[in-house]
Amino acid sequence: MISVPLFSVRDLHVWFELPDGRELHAVNGVSFDLHAGEVLGLVGESGCGKTTTILATMGLLPSSADVAGEIRINGEEILHGGEASVRPHRWRDIAMVFQGAMNCFSPVRTVGSQIVEPMKLHGIAKGAEARRRAGELLEMVGIPAASADRFPHEFSGGMRQRAAIAMALACEPKILLADEPTTGLDVMVQAQILELLASLADTLGLAVVLVTHDLPVVAEACSRAAVMYAGRIAELGSVDDLYHDSHHPYTRLLFAATPDLLGDDRVVSIPGSPPRLDREIVGCPFRERCDSAVAECATEEPALHLVGSSHVAACHLNDLIENVRQ
Amino acid sequence: MNDVNEELKVRETTTQSDPGAASIAEDVQVTPRPPVLEVKDLTTYYPINRGLAGRLLGHEAKTVHAVDGVSLRVDAGEFVALVGESGCGKTSTVMTILGATKATSGSVRVKGEEIVGRTPREMLSVYRHLQMIYQDPYGSLDPRFRVSDTVEEPLLVHGVGATKQERRSLVLAALESAGLSPADLYIDRFPHELSGGQRQRVAIATALILEPSLLLADEPVSMLDVSVRASVLNLLDELRRTRDMAIVMVTHDLSTAGHFADRIVVMYLGRIVEEGPAKEVLANPQHPYTKALISVVPKPDPRDRSTPQTLSGETPNPVDIPAGCRFHPRCPIAREECAKSDPRLRLSVKVRIESHRVACHLA
Repeated sequence: MISVPLFSVRDLHVWFELPDGRELHAVNGVSFDLHAGEVLGLVGESGCGKTTTILATMGLLPSSADVAGEIRINGEEILHGGEASVRPHRWRDIAMVFQGAMNCFSPVRTVGSQIVEPMKLHGIAKGAEARRRAGELLEMVGIPAASADRFPHEFSGGMRQRAAIAMALACEPKILLADEPTTGLDVMVQAQILELLASLADTLGLAVVLVTHDLPVVAEACSRAAVMYAGRIAELGSVDDLYHDSHHPYTRLLFAATPDLLGDDRVVSIPGSPPRLDREIVGCPFRERCDSAVAECATEEPALHLVGSSHVAACHLNDLIENVRQ
Repeated sequence: MNDVNEELKVRETTTQSDPGAASIAEDVQVTPRPPVLEVKDLTTYYPINRGLAGRLLGHEAKTVHAVDGVSLRVDAGEFVALVGESGCGKTSTVMTILGATKATSGSVRVKGEEIVGRTPREMLSVYRHLQMIYQDPYGSLDPRFRVSDTVEEPLLVHGVGATKQERRSLVLAALESAGLSPADLYIDRFPHELSGGQRQRVAIATALILEPSLLLADEPVSMLDVSVRASVLNLLDELRRTRDMAIVMVTHDLSTAGHFADRIVVMYLGRIVEEGPAKEVLANPQHPYTKALISVVPKPDPRDRSTPQTLSGETPNPVDIPAGCRFHPRCPIAREECAKSDPRLRLSVKVRIESHRVACHLA
């Protein structure tokens, strides 16, 4: 039996209109599925489209953005109806912890009163009931319920990040999008937050999308991950496949640029920078930085092909190797 | 229990066979070259503002013990990493060495010259040997300055280069050695025309143009993309090798420290709790805090899974420092003695490398 995925993104495109009338193709055909209790990583360099992708699924992009594709929650398409069809799902089914959310609490109101706010707004609970739930949510993320009456400045950075997660969970969403939730936190606190996300996915059956630029964080916290480049998915597979059996030079080079704690391998950076997305890209977008490009890469853009069970990659080399085998 | 007895026995026997081990390690080693940086018993306390009301009500004057008795020696060409959680005092240590923060007591010698107690004007001559790069290349460069103006500034301050042409050729050379090549392409640009990695290279060129003997770096790559981090770190590594420049880098990333530094210094609440050769500290950590820090570093290989020993809570407030060993309230193996006496930084009985020292009663 094939179950309908809880969260499904199909062929998502986002274009931003620039002031001079040109268009910037920020997200280019991104697709992924997510089941309950799963943690998927979206990883890549700045500007690769990972944050734009998740903002698009929440319908939170500015009006200068054009979005195309399909976004399904439990099989129901929410993108085509515009704001009217996204709105009922936002926060109630799909919620987000924004980058730097821990620094976005109002300093003059208690943390509890700010967690209550989305519940009131969405008619989930109010008054004493809402306050009780706020306490429960805080307990769930590992903060004593009594802290609800304290102000953000009385919380440490790690506690504020936990409170931001509690706030995102206020309306009992099924899908949680977390944008760089550990950036700016210490290694010790980072480990605690990653542990928390994993346990929330496990106990609540929450589907989590973790956006990060940090490959080791993905390896630690996710079961599967999509490596993004120039608005596209370059490779998607289990974290084990990505590390031990990568089928895209970009994934391999990203790992080579990441120092390993006790490894002796030389850490090598990837030369050059990602292509501009406001111009048409001919061929493979990674070609100019790739260490194994072939003639074909300059003319034809590689499509995502299956390279293992639930493992896809967009690289001509895979097809060449396949041809040689046959 | 057996373990404990055995450990004590080991300690006894080593003390008998080699009674002077601990004191030898603490003696200054005699080397032909004087150290580039020598810090002794450095303390930096920040007073907490009680406010007028607090003063009138006679509230106790409190201080933050940001750096609390740090001693450090860095030789020419050495790459030292200061690691620890936020609030452990690593940045305060570096800022005190730089003279940007006033030391409360202790001594900092740069190339033999004492700098504690100097006025900013008296510090000027020191900055020919001592330069700093900051964490945020977006904030550390003046957006109205062209690259040439930023990189040239130290030359003007120190009166190096008589003519404009001479200074420009020095700027070009500095940019080239910082990896911005060809330098002609970058020299007349503004910061907003550069990527994060390129900006950090401009900051490095500015720090290098006076050919300092000591470079301080506060999280120099944490704001950069993974793909360019390695190139900036490889550049620093190459520069210290070719120019014999010493580097003290503050980082919270142990993997980076292990790859690029010769020596790792682990700090906790203003103190050094462990120091030694980088690979040795990571492969054979002795302090329970170092062990916990290493266990929570995410590993890129999903099969390489060890149980992270997450410590509860965060670094305590450096205003109220716990009595005894300052780590004991969070320590998974603390014993009674740990709450009473403060362990000194000394040679561990379990490792025999003279430069690997630890401040723990149980190591």
